[in-house]
Amino acid sequence: MHFSDYVILAFRNIWRAKLRSALTIFAVVIGATSVTIMLALVTGAKSFFLDQVQANGTLQQVAISPQQDITNFNDAQHNSGGNCSTNCTKLTDLVVDKVKAIPHVTGVARVAGQGMLAAIAYGNQNLSLNQTTAYDANGIIVNNVLAGRDIQTSDTTGVLTITSDYADKFGFKGNYGGIIGKSVKLLTQDFYSGVGANIQPPQQCNGPCNGNNQPNNKPTTLTGTIVGVIDTSNNSQSVRIPIEWMREMQENQMYQVTPADQAANAAQQAKCQRIAGPCNITQHMTLTTTDMLAQNGYSSLIAKVDNSKNAASVATAVKKLGLGAADAEASIKQQLTIFNVIGLVLGGIGGIALAVAAVGVVNTMVMAILERTREIGVMRAVGAKRSTVRTLFTIEAALLGFWGGVVGIAVGFGLTRIANIFVNKQLVSQGVKAHDIISLPPWLILAVVGIATLIGMLAGLYPAARAAKLNPVEALRYE
Amino acid sequence: MPIPTPVIELRGVTKTYKLGGETLNALDNVSLVIQPGDYVTLTGPSGSGKSTLANIIGGLDQPTSGTVIVDGNDLSQLRDAQLSEYRNHHIGFVFQSFNLQGNNTIVENVMLPLVFSKVGRKARKARAIECLQAVGLGDHLKHTANQLSGGQRQRVAIARALAVRPSIIIADEPTGNLDSAKGKEIMALINDLNTQGITILIITHDQEVARKAKHMIEIRDGKLSEHGA
Repeated sequence: MHFSDYVILAFRNIWRAKLRSALTIFAVVIGATSVTIMLALVTGAKSFFLDQVQANGTLQQVAISPQQDITNFNDAQHNSGGNCSTNCTKLTDLVVDKVKAIPHVTGVARVAGQGMLAAIAYGNQNLSLNQTTAYDANGIIVNNVLAGRDIQTSDTTGVLTITSDYADKFGFKGNYGGIIGKSVKLLTQDFYSGVGANIQPPQQCNGPCNGNNQPNNKPTTLTGTIVGVIDTSNNSQSVRIPIEWMREMQENQMYQVTPADQAANAAQQAKCQRIAGPCNITQHMTLTTTDMLAQNGYSSLIAKVDNSKNAASVATAVKKLGLGAADAEASIKQQLTIFNVIGLVLGGIGGIALAVAAVGVVNTMVMAILERTREIGVMRAVGAKRSTVRTLFTIEAALLGFWGGVVGIAVGFGLTRIANIFVNKQLVSQGVKAHDIISLPPWLILAVVGIATLIGMLAGLYPAARAAKLNPVEALRYE
Repeated sequence: MPIPTPVIELRGVTKTYKLGGETLNALDNVSLVIQPGDYVTLTGPSGSGKSTLANIIGGLDQPTSGTVIVDGNDLSQLRDAQLSEYRNHHIGFVFQSFNLQGNNTIVENVMLPLVFSKVGRKARKARAIECLQAVGLGDHLKHTANQLSGGQRQRVAIARALAVRPSIIIADEPTGNLDSAKGKEIMALINDLNTQGITILIITHDQEVARKAKHMIEIRDGKLSEHGA
């Protein structure tokens, strides 16, 4: 018997018992719809996450840390720099050049993070500030800008971007554009000695002074103009500034006795020794500035590679320079595993509904065989083999599953479309780009229809085997 | 004159059934020879074993012992799938209650055996129409079985039996559900088929039907007694 004949016969038989078939299919529809929605939700969330990663260009990045033992992408990225003693190489501009020279590296963004700014103030609001970050605005590190713009290469000092969290607290919720161009005050920590610090010359000392002095002990207030509001999921108490401003903030200004001062001081002392009686010596000192960023190095680097496939090899090459390096693949894989596990659990819940539907298919088919016993007898009498009968009933059950799957996908598709409208409204209201968080890719459509068909088929195996085993003589006598 | 090879040959065929602890002999050492083109009726009281005999010849059942050779096939040697093919190619069954698919057209009903023998769609439709025309239903091709009278339905059943060009037609009480006028028409049709060379084996209670046959075999308690017509 040709396969097409099986399908036509099976379809006719299903059509003959319309109501019963429809009810059985309805049960499969419920199962298939729930599997569809649950898997669509996980698939959509996964693709949303991957899209974010792709948009950030994270997969094409290698995070570089001065600490050799750092091998995790996030740890390397968020390294705060600072002390670099053992197993450590300072991320100086010389090192940056070496990283740039590694094959497949198309660019490097230098990252400097510091906690020297303690608070940000606008109007009456004075909010604490945990982290000030600066990096090259060369397009390697991308932020989700909600209003205004990101830091640009042409920016030098006096501009910053704030997080949406700050903008909300400053009273610009829903109107982030309103805060652009506004001026905020940035309060430094104590012992701040960078740009703008009011460093006083040390008090006069009698006798030789060694040149050490204490910088101004009081916090300094800096002023900056907000150029952008950015969305950030972590570290909402942070600001971003141009790297040159960061360099200036990290400068160490102090009064020191320079060789010229030493000469002047020595000349004064010699003069005093020649004079009997009191002699006032004015200690000569000069305000010096040290570029601490150049001296201590950047806190981390982000190298961009030409292709995500080369990220691992670039990371290896970076490690050979005595640095810590990691690409994002491993950490992304780990996060994707979580999505897969959630998908399995949710799919399993929908699967229970499908399993119940399978019992319905078994029931329907057993009933159909009882009703059609004589017909099976006739089929056997006119030449149907046991295998023919078995295949016919299995295909009939599979068709019930198939239609259940098709209708289930259609219903699931409709429901996900409706759900997406609500989800997107929510996303847009929170400043996130609209994205079909619940997605129904072709593979999912095929998988749900395939699984429903397979379940129908499996459910049909037992009734079909029963039908095939019927003795034709007894089947023909069946009343 | 050469002796023709019999189309049906039974040698020492016994069929026993176990009912509870009892063993019933439905057929008891039956031997029988039927020549090609013969017209045989099997008569006997209920439970005498006539249906069992017809089922064994038709390949629907197998004997407990003995040999059954039909159209050169030793049926006791055939497996289930081979028996199905044998039924499909050699035997046409006609049942008392027609056993048609009521909601299907009569063409679809007649095509059924051809579906199992993998005949192409066009060819089997053509053959079904040909058979239906042969039984006088050429004007009813679009009708479903349910739309026809009892006599017409039995004609459809005969057309279905003819579809695979069988060498033997086994009819179990073919007129049992028909009035006498329709019954006569059906018997005339079966007679026609016999004149075309098809071997006919009819199981019947009806003595009038039985008398039309060239050979009448009576069966009682699983044993045969033959009467020439």
